[in-house]
Amino acid sequence: MMKSANAILAGLTLLGLASWVQAGALAADAETTFKFYCAQCHGLGGKGDGPNVTKNFPVSPRNFTNAKEMNKLSDADIKNVVLDGGPAASKSPMMPPWGKTLTGPQVDGLVKHLRKLCKCKGKQG
Amino acid sequence: MRMALKALLGVAALALSASPALADPAAGKKTFTAKGCGDCHYTDGPAKEKTIADQLTKKGPELWYAGSKFQKKWLGAWLEDPKPIRPMKFNSLTEKNPGDHPKLAGGDAKNVNEFLMSLVSKDVKAGVIKPKKAAKGRLIFTKKMPCTGCHQYPAKKRAKYKGGNSGPTLVGAGKRLNPDWIYAYLKTPKIFKPVKSMPVFAGILKDKDMKNVAQFVATFK
Repeated sequence: MMKSANAILAGLTLLGLASWVQAGALAADAETTFKFYCAQCHGLGGKGDGPNVTKNFPVSPRNFTNAKEMNKLSDADIKNVVLDGGPAASKSPMMPPWGKTLTGPQVDGLVKHLRKLCKCKGKQG
Repeated sequence: MRMALKALLGVAALALSASPALADPAAGKKTFTAKGCGDCHYTDGPAKEKTIADQLTKKGPELWYAGSKFQKKWLGAWLEDPKPIRPMKFNSLTEKNPGDHPKLAGGDAKNVNEFLMSLVSKDVKAGVIKPKKAAKGRLIFTKKMPCTGCHQYPAKKRAKYKGGNSGPTLVGAGKRLNPDWIYAYLKTPKIFKPVKSMPVFAGILKDKDMKNVAQFVATFK
């Protein structure tokens, strides 16, 4: 009885460890995705200061570390803009539509990464 | 009559001996290897990159379809006197392009040009796109889509160019790029660059509009 309880505990620990490792890997993937695609305009740290943003850049890319602004958006709002571009939210076409480039899990990962950058949960519901 | 023929043959022989040696793709391939060009550029297609990490490992652009992508005259001159095409260092968002691409001497440049122009892709159909200042192409490129966010392009007024820094410049694209490749790249980007930081526009833009954009970009001086 004791032996099987120990085995179950060990199994659960391993399972927990595996999902923790997987979550870590996904977070790392999201950061890689962000740095590869988004940082060109939004900057590596998400402050809206990527190398494309010179004095002639027609708009100010969103600063993802601004919790006040980011809290106005729900996760679904962010996802829509990533997939369909700025005009989907009446914003600038300078924000590209990434719907034919990124996979579903990549987009979900990006939403989580942006929440990490703003340290905010966003508009609920 | 015989004298005239002899004189004519003599002139022809002289002309032949004075003309430079014909460029040789096999010699170009040897030079490409010997100079270490392959350390940064791969020339055997199809595309190898599958992940972002694969793309970031590369030190320079792939050249396995160079003959379909570039214009021969431009490439020959560039190999002898390379000027930065990307404002930023390849695969970097923080470092500027140092402009330190190695130069090739005249004969080597001609041979390497011949070798690179022999590398073609069956997915680039010839004669589809002719440069054209199409109003629709301009509208999509400058207003409706975010092309100018990442690519420099020729400006009309005082400034020489406008546009962003993360992509290759499109100033001079009309001399550098094969117009048919621009369209093929927009239409089937994953054949050429399966992992790239430029959005895929196929499926977002209509085929006709990708042609309009390619025609417009092909006019850039």
